[in-house]
Amino acid sequence: MKMLVRTLDMEYETVSAFAAQAGFKTPSGDLIRRDTRGHLSSGLFPVWVLGGVAVFLLLLTTTGCGKTAAASYRLNMVESAKQRLKPEQEQQVATILAALFGTPDEPIAPSECGLDAAKLHLAAGPVRSDIVGRKNGLYREHCAHCHGVTGDGMGPTAAFLNPYPRDYRPGVFKFKSTERADKPTHADLVMVLRNGLAGSSMPSFALLSDAKIDALSEYVKYLSIRGEVELALMRAFFELDDEDQGRLPEDREFLIEEIVLPVAEAWQAAEDALIDVPEMAADIDMAASIAKGKELFYGNKANCVKCHGVTGLGDGQVNDYDDWNKVVLQAHKTVQGGLEQAGEASTWDMDADEADEHRAELAWLDRFQKVLDGNALPPRTIRPRNLRQGIYRGGMRPLDLYYRIHAGINGAPMPAAKGTVPPEDIWHIVNYIRSLPYDFNGTLGVDKPMVARDRL
Amino acid sequence: MFRIFPSLRHKGLQLTSGAFAMVSVTLLAGSLPAAEWATLKGRFVYDGAAPEPAAITADKDVAVCGKHKLVNEELAVSADKGIANVVIFVRSKKVTVHPDLEDGSKAEPAVLDNKDCRFEPHVGFVQTGQTLTIKNSDPVGHNSNIATMKNSPSNSLIPSNGSSDVTFSRDEAIPATVTCNIHPWMKAYLVIRPNPYGAVTAADGSFEIENLPVGEELEFQLWHEKGGYLDEFVLDGKKTDAKRGRIDLTVKAGGTDLGDIVISPKLFK
Repeated sequence: MKMLVRTLDMEYETVSAFAAQAGFKTPSGDLIRRDTRGHLSSGLFPVWVLGGVAVFLLLLTTTGCGKTAAASYRLNMVESAKQRLKPEQEQQVATILAALFGTPDEPIAPSECGLDAAKLHLAAGPVRSDIVGRKNGLYREHCAHCHGVTGDGMGPTAAFLNPYPRDYRPGVFKFKSTERADKPTHADLVMVLRNGLAGSSMPSFALLSDAKIDALSEYVKYLSIRGEVELALMRAFFELDDEDQGRLPEDREFLIEEIVLPVAEAWQAAEDALIDVPEMAADIDMAASIAKGKELFYGNKANCVKCHGVTGLGDGQVNDYDDWNKVVLQAHKTVQGGLEQAGEASTWDMDADEADEHRAELAWLDRFQKVLDGNALPPRTIRPRNLRQGIYRGGMRPLDLYYRIHAGINGAPMPAAKGTVPPEDIWHIVNYIRSLPYDFNGTLGVDKPMVARDRL
Repeated sequence: MFRIFPSLRHKGLQLTSGAFAMVSVTLLAGSLPAAEWATLKGRFVYDGAAPEPAAITADKDVAVCGKHKLVNEELAVSADKGIANVVIFVRSKKVTVHPDLEDGSKAEPAVLDNKDCRFEPHVGFVQTGQTLTIKNSDPVGHNSNIATMKNSPSNSLIPSNGSSDVTFSRDEAIPATVTCNIHPWMKAYLVIRPNPYGAVTAADGSFEIENLPVGEELEFQLWHEKGGYLDEFVLDGKKTDAKRGRIDLTVKAGGTDLGDIVISPKLFK
């Protein structure tokens, strides 16, 4: 809710400031006596004249002669507060990021990132046409209302959705054909855009042309790389030596080599790092495979039962958080713990230095709390998938389920079975999982299909 | 220019751009054996009554984990007031490393065991390149979710009597957390450094870092799970301020014993 109000607020404030300057009546009935240049007026003009001027100026601002403020990226305030960055350090991060990655209207990317400028151009900026019949600004048209202009997963609608829209900035993506810690391939992102994520608010964009989906996937990569670089910059302050006086080196070579390249290389490496999936034996005895899969599901090696529950309804482990929510949860704990501790302390018992330190700590906690209130959504627990619905976020092909079990789900508690469960056993588990939505045989003590709604 | 992150991607840089000042210094330092190597030791002491650790109630796999007396291990103080699990490591990037210890991949694997429904050790030290073997000595399955900042995060299933190997290519400024998603009370820390010069204090608060270069002033950093960077302590009878837990020390020929490093309980609040 806050997010929505804030976005509207900006325009509201601009308008009301303008109106006030032009001489609108305040609610108390006093005339604000300022002319359009901000000088106090003599009060000789009747109210309607001033009102008329105001309306004219308002029209000017809304009909296109006036310019709307350029969109800007939001700084990662939670990380900044966590790292205790000073305002001038935040400014430095913003400056470096702007130099490396441009603005939402004019994105650029260091060539090392291997991003296609033409695709970024198509996706970025306000919705507009430069050639008849060609629309630009695809990201803001289709994505930004949930994922935010910055890709921080905090667009105006984000707070109303469960699960929350993905925050791209940590560079972690769940549904992909690569190992757990690896980036998704371009094709993985394209698939998510084309198919949507079943069971979440992410819709299918299959009605968009291939070129548009391609451009948007490229732009998601761009926002993600930018977000990861931002995180790396903010964390780098911590490693500075005293003689650096709290400033990061700004030469491009350093920034590219030390900060950008590790991120960019990970994205490029993903393209050649597909999980090698051995085909399931064509003559497999399906009933036997399902039985073996069931054994594995409940067994202590694959251990699916611990989180997905004895019933497979996803109710085995309901108090865990995904990595995005964990960051916010941890921040809340830090602030609460800090405040409790500070509450016990009294400056009476301290010398001057200690008292200063204490006050600085309180100021930081207060700021951190405000950041959490304004820049983070309330943390939510993650639900292990209910396996009796047959709805799988990352796709329902047997191959998709194989990827999920083999690699686990990055960012989520789901661990990788790779190395522990051999490929043929992973296929058995896949077959068992795929049988669960049709498992009406009364083993759960009911004689009708189990539906999550009825149980939770 | 590369002073603050020389360890990152240093292999690539060594090959392609040896002209960079810092890198060449590292190379030079690495290739010149220091005359002598010695040990730094000391003991961290809690300046107060040893706190009683809070009990943890196991609510998963109760039949197995319920048998063990699980406690919150954030702050473990021994009967003689030694503080366990304090981390001390060389923070200086510019350090002459003993030639036999430079290559982490040649070191014995470090071990992190899932044992009695907790991690053993609670805080571990790993060198970049060194293999970390994660074991499971419990009759129940675990998973080990390692949350790193710079290295790829990993989260593997570790079945009973199974194991999984992990290596880290980059050092981490902040100890990484290891958790088990099946047993939410389980938590460990991994200190991942670019050289072997670090230690975690034993139950009695003592530590030893061997084979340090003699006569080289090095910046050390002190960290503790609950206390964060230990920035205030009494060393050699003198009150010492160590901003962000950073302190310069030089190891003498024949070794240096810091004796008791006494820390006020207020740092652990």
